[in-house]
Amino acid sequence: MILLTGFCFLYGNVCHAEEKGFEKLRKESVKIKTLQADFTQKKSMKILSRPLVSQGYFYFAMPDSLRWEYIKPLKSVALSHNQQARRYMHSDGKWVEDKTNGVQAMRIVLSEIAGWMNGRFDQNPSFKATVIGKENTCIILTPVEKKMKGMIERIEINLAPQARVVQSVKILEGPDNITQINFSNVKMNHAIDPTIFKDVR
Amino acid sequence: MRRHLLWIVIFFLSSCQTLPIINAPSSPRKEKSFVCPDPFLKRNYRLVHAIEARLDGRVQSQIIGITLALPDTRSVSCAIITVEGMSLFEAEANPHGINVKRALPPFDSKDFANNMMEDIKLIFLAPEGVLQNRGYLADGSKACRYRQENGGWIDVIENESGETQIKRYSSSEVLKRDVRFSGTHKQLYQRIGLQADAKFDYFLLMNLIEDQPIKKQAIKRN
Repeated sequence: MILLTGFCFLYGNVCHAEEKGFEKLRKESVKIKTLQADFTQKKSMKILSRPLVSQGYFYFAMPDSLRWEYIKPLKSVALSHNQQARRYMHSDGKWVEDKTNGVQAMRIVLSEIAGWMNGRFDQNPSFKATVIGKENTCIILTPVEKKMKGMIERIEINLAPQARVVQSVKILEGPDNITQINFSNVKMNHAIDPTIFKDVR
Repeated sequence: MRRHLLWIVIFFLSSCQTLPIINAPSSPRKEKSFVCPDPFLKRNYRLVHAIEARLDGRVQSQIIGITLALPDTRSVSCAIITVEGMSLFEAEANPHGINVKRALPPFDSKDFANNMMEDIKLIFLAPEGVLQNRGYLADGSKACRYRQENGGWIDVIENESGETQIKRYSSSEVLKRDVRFSGTHKQLYQRIGLQADAKFDYFLLMNLIEDQPIKKQAIKRN
């Protein structure tokens, strides 16, 4: 009984510390008005002998405008603005809008990423969020629902030590199935042309 | 775009036909020197393609397809991932059967896995079965016809410009798949078109991202 009480006490403290941690991250992210960065995505799977590397650009403006653009090996752009998401594929030299149900899934993903940029790491009920470290902060998102667990094992988000912007994201779909996204050339609070979130160009 | 539409029109026109007649080489000398078109892998390869799926000529989606093909053992493994890196489908097939490791909707039906693995084998592995006919089609293309165990047919064709095509017919002689290679002999798998006659007719356009020969030891490690 004493052990149980002790456990509850400790567990309660951990939760409280975690809530404080997330609250701190939310407060710190208020400083972020816009973000732009290059990214490199490395997909590792058992079937691949070396990771499949993709590259692109990322743009974000408060509160939820996003542009997620791949330039290679395939050109593709996902836009999110005013809670509307669109996705474009590049085919035969032209941009073609994706009209499939996949856009719906993309909208959810983009809204989630926008949430991370706002410091809202613990707002999605589908994931349990844990914050680790102080200077080198890592947020671990673990799926709560069984259905989601079959798709994603966990997501690890690493924040840059000082600016508190997302530095890298690691998505583990299985032990040998990992997507690592590293951001570079990060520019915070630089002016971004608003059309970048509306037009595929 | 026009080129793809042309392929689709050609497919629909040809799908109304029965198996075309293959005329035997006209002389014993031609018969002796006749070599069947052979666009298939001779050694183990890993290929990564950007795949565009089209319905009614319109691009529906773009995905990345990874294929590991082992001609010696007639084994293939494949994975489909989104541009964003999400794995949608992973499976392997060998002469003993298919093992689906991961299949998210809409790739989670058994038919999808079977068709997918059969299509990969059709494109990359030499046909099984008996060589039934060899010679020339009416348009002068070189053709070899293989009878499959299930009663179906596979024609491997090379036209006079050197373009290679694989056609799979059902046992009732209905054209089910039409594969066209647009790459050169050196880079045959650079651009592959696959037109399918299925529940929903679709067209897949595969553009090579990277390819890599693989050693047997490397496969064992996998």
